[in-house]
Amino acid sequence: MITMLLRVLGPEYAGRVRRTVALMTATALAEGLSYALLVPVLRALFGGSPDDARPWLLAFGAAVAGYAVLRYVSDRSGFRAGTTMLHGMYVRLGEHLARLPLGWYRPGRVGEVSVLASQGVLKAMSVIAHLLAPFISACVTPLTIVGVMLVFSWQLGLAALAAVPVVAAVQLRTARATTATDTERVAREREATGRVIEYLQAQPVLRAGGRTAERFGLLDDALAGQQHASRRATLSALPGVLGLAATVQAVFTGLLALGAYLALGGDLGAAEVLAVLVLAARCADPLLSLAEIGGSLRAARAELARLDQVLRIEPLPEPAVPLRPSGHDVEFDAVTFRHGGRTVTDAVSLSVPQGGRLAVVGPSGAGKSTLLQLLARFYDVDAGAVRVGGVDVREMATAELMERVAIVFQDVYLFDGTIEDNVRLGRPDATGAQVRAAGAAALLDDVVERLPGGWSAHVGEGGALLSGGERQRVALARALLKDAPVVLLDEVTSALDPVSEAAVHTGIERLMKGRTVVMVAHRMRTVRRADRVAFLDGGRVVEQGSHDALLRQGGRYAEYWDLTVGAGKG
Amino acid sequence: MPVTPTARPPGVRRLVRPYAGGFAAVVSLQIIGAVAGLLPLLAVVALGRTLLAPGPASPGHVRGVVVAGAAGLFVRLLFTAASSGVGHLLDGHVQLSLRRRLAAVLGRVPIGRLSRWRGGELAKLVGEDVSAVHPVIAHAPGELVSAFVVPLVSLAYLVTVDWRLTLITLVPVLLAVALVPLMMTRERLREQREYDAAMGRIAGSVVEFVQGIAVVKAFGGAERAHREFRGAVDDFTRSFSAMVRGLSGVAAGMQVALSPPFVLLAVLVGGAYRITGGGLAPADLLPFLLLGLGLTAPVAALGHGFDDVQAARRALGRIRDVLAEPALPEPVRPVAPRGHRVELRGVRFGYEAEREVLRGVDLVLEPGTVTAVVGPSGSGKSTLVRLLPRFVDPDQGAVLLGGVDLREVGSRELYRRVSFVFQDVRLLRASIAENIALAVPHAGHDDIVRAARLADIHEVILAMPRGYDAVIGEDARLSGGEAQRLSLARALLAEAPVLVLDEATAFADPRTEATVREALALTRGARTTLVIAHRMETIADADTVVMLRDGEIVERGTPAELRARGGEFAAFWRLHAGVAETGATGVGETR
Repeated sequence: MITMLLRVLGPEYAGRVRRTVALMTATALAEGLSYALLVPVLRALFGGSPDDARPWLLAFGAAVAGYAVLRYVSDRSGFRAGTTMLHGMYVRLGEHLARLPLGWYRPGRVGEVSVLASQGVLKAMSVIAHLLAPFISACVTPLTIVGVMLVFSWQLGLAALAAVPVVAAVQLRTARATTATDTERVAREREATGRVIEYLQAQPVLRAGGRTAERFGLLDDALAGQQHASRRATLSALPGVLGLAATVQAVFTGLLALGAYLALGGDLGAAEVLAVLVLAARCADPLLSLAEIGGSLRAARAELARLDQVLRIEPLPEPAVPLRPSGHDVEFDAVTFRHGGRTVTDAVSLSVPQGGRLAVVGPSGAGKSTLLQLLARFYDVDAGAVRVGGVDVREMATAELMERVAIVFQDVYLFDGTIEDNVRLGRPDATGAQVRAAGAAALLDDVVERLPGGWSAHVGEGGALLSGGERQRVALARALLKDAPVVLLDEVTSALDPVSEAAVHTGIERLMKGRTVVMVAHRMRTVRRADRVAFLDGGRVVEQGSHDALLRQGGRYAEYWDLTVGAGKG
Repeated sequence: MPVTPTARPPGVRRLVRPYAGGFAAVVSLQIIGAVAGLLPLLAVVALGRTLLAPGPASPGHVRGVVVAGAAGLFVRLLFTAASSGVGHLLDGHVQLSLRRRLAAVLGRVPIGRLSRWRGGELAKLVGEDVSAVHPVIAHAPGELVSAFVVPLVSLAYLVTVDWRLTLITLVPVLLAVALVPLMMTRERLREQREYDAAMGRIAGSVVEFVQGIAVVKAFGGAERAHREFRGAVDDFTRSFSAMVRGLSGVAAGMQVALSPPFVLLAVLVGGAYRITGGGLAPADLLPFLLLGLGLTAPVAALGHGFDDVQAARRALGRIRDVLAEPALPEPVRPVAPRGHRVELRGVRFGYEAEREVLRGVDLVLEPGTVTAVVGPSGSGKSTLVRLLPRFVDPDQGAVLLGGVDLREVGSRELYRRVSFVFQDVRLLRASIAENIALAVPHAGHDDIVRAARLADIHEVILAMPRGYDAVIGEDARLSGGEAQRLSLARALLAEAPVLVLDEATAFADPRTEATVREALALTRGARTTLVIAHRMETIADADTVVMLRDGEIVERGTPAELRARGGEFAAFWRLHAGVAETGATGVGETR
């Protein structure tokens, strides 16, 4: 657990964690040891000579003072360590996330990582702040007390010592048993969450089928399954909790009986027996709390494991000696890329001269968007190479590559900031006039005019306050402002209505001017803006050439063209 | 008249009232167990009294004491186990029933309301928020009893033994309580507020950072965005440190005051003083050594502030709000529509009171015709089509189907007649056959296959190892276009006579597009179709075109009429046809 914590935190925080743990251990030891002084104090008080208690009482007072200082320092150190580590964890995770390849960020990932980064980090870090000290104290103090007991009465001490292996065994067993059921529970929870989302999204069709919540079996089964799994998880933890309680209580009863026997037989003074029983009572409480602390620690550990998993993902390698591309031509050289056990692109070779325009066409799932993503290094190729200006993208510094490429996606992500902020993302140091010029070129002026506050209008989370066409225009303005020599367009207009499409087309035309363009499209009227077309199917280039040449050829592309135009006529 | 099933929003208290009996049982069992747990400690006291009494101890009496102690432990084990078991069963029951109630309510609210919640919010509500009741039902009883009942019983007992020493035992508790105001100073409270705010900011910026990362990276802004994120992190650390600095001294001081060694020191000093003065029998010191420590529990619990209980209250509040959502009003006596003519009469609608999206729309959709809606972004197109499947109801005016107000048609009947295709092609993780038959649960296999053939997806399905039994997302993986054709099969099987179609999201690729158009043309019959047109071809083929601007219909007629009129539509047509016919090179003219 600590090992994983140290790995997640990285080496710079390891020393601090070790120091904090050492302090906490010392505090717990001091507590246990101070109780040793209880025995002579009680011997004097119970033995009818209360005045003899005074020096021992003074000593106990001094021990308590020492403990108090240690406890105070260790508590504050725990707080401080918690703060620094939280900071370190956030920074480390942030840096790591910024370096991960974009391909890693699939749609589902975003939600996952958001939860992990906000709640997960806190949960994991609360281990140090809240659980570590009680845990150490619950383990170390009873052990110390048992040692003290051994000194005063080997019989009672041994009896107490018998509990140690049993408690340890129970703890380990519980941990093992609950790990399995917890995994099952988490899986069931995820399943139920998925079903809830499905249920919400399919409402129209479910209502048409008269499937209310009670009659939509998939959801109800998942909810019931979630409850069963959670019950099983609880049941699997129960033997541990009860076993621990039973052990602690059995040992206490044993000590009570043994103490009574020893006192009756005269082997041990009544005062000593009573003092040892008082000590035993001091062991019981922390031991019983172990069950609960253990459970919380396991939950935090699961969170840590998830963080660890993310932090262990390797970012794409950066070249030791980055090369600078000369020119802005683009080349796919026998590019093969596999993903999820599937060959997405299979030895694709394509080239676009500087200032040329290539349209990639084909059925959905043909690997078109993947080509753009490989160029922008969302992923690295498995074989072959993608080159810009004659240099393999893997041999360029990522910043260098990103400077040269502007991408416009079908789905535009906007920050919950002003329109101006969102456009400025294209080039953070642009002047206001440059931002406005880019906006004008992308026909963003109408949008800005419509919104209260104009350029300072907030766009809402994810750009919710703008329509699809308007968001697309913001994206184009962003790309225009960036003024990168290579432009990648990914089905930019396919989800737009004709009015929006017309406006966006104007922007696209301006963006493409004088730049090297690779575009994925299935609107044939977009394709016709390209000077070269590649038809992709099943990850292979099936045909390529100019639009007119391919039409004359009468192959797959011509068939596709007929299909859309023909459908329009029918 | 339509009736609203949910009358008043129930309070959080009312939400949990049905389970009060079970909860009381859990708490009672816990109390019995905890009080029995004091017996062994009392046994030690009794043993001490016997052993320390002058003269030889009676073995029989000692044996009785040991047995009583053991019995107490056994009872404690039994009752706490029973309490925990009942608590967890009750917990599971409460959670499942809350989830079912939420699902039922969400299945009845107007579909348009569902979009008021952000993506994962409802899923979080049904999942995490419901789970938040777990600690309250399963763990709070134990915590409550050990924090309050046990100390109170102990206190009562200790007072009967020696009230003076009881007071001395309470000194550490009083010291800790005296420190509480120091944690509540204005400065501390301000730090707490700043901390909460910084916490909110960091959560927000984490989400923003991660969600925007693809765009940010693509635009080479990763470092800047990361800097902003770091700024939020630094802010957070600063306010957290300030809070900890202010608080940790006091908190650690409280911890020291409440720690067992400190309490024992107070008991021993007080006890020694009382014994020396002859006011206390030595054996009477034992109960204070054994039970005195428990007296600190309430203050320690207050330090925690019962965080879980607070969190559960907040979660239950959110659950209550959703459970109080009014259901889509269902007619008491549903009226069957006569035919499939759709009519909008003076429809006005706004998502917010001040901003109307539709401002008096009158429109008739005749059976067997296609009506295409066009208009600029924000003109109200999407809202207009959302009226038909009752995702939203008009604020004023009415939508009629077959002469009957939609609000008088039962929702089941309505969704049988109106289908809203392609808006979202998300398929369920169920077999392909189930997915196609979703709206027609009792459809036969032959009907399913016929719909699949018509949607040009039959071959794709047969190519899968388990064919129609293949499960989406498991052994059936479909491309975007295939998924759309599957959902077309679903719509064709449903045979809804009124079809609402948003072309903007309808087509993944040309093949799908062609299939959809063919299939719809083939099965057109007497269907009433309303489409947000995306393709110029659709607009050209429509029987009626409606041009919408600012929530009003500005032009309507056949496409040819409108083009000839030279108004807004004609201008739009010229512009768009221009785009359509232009190659890569320049600006062309109309065809």
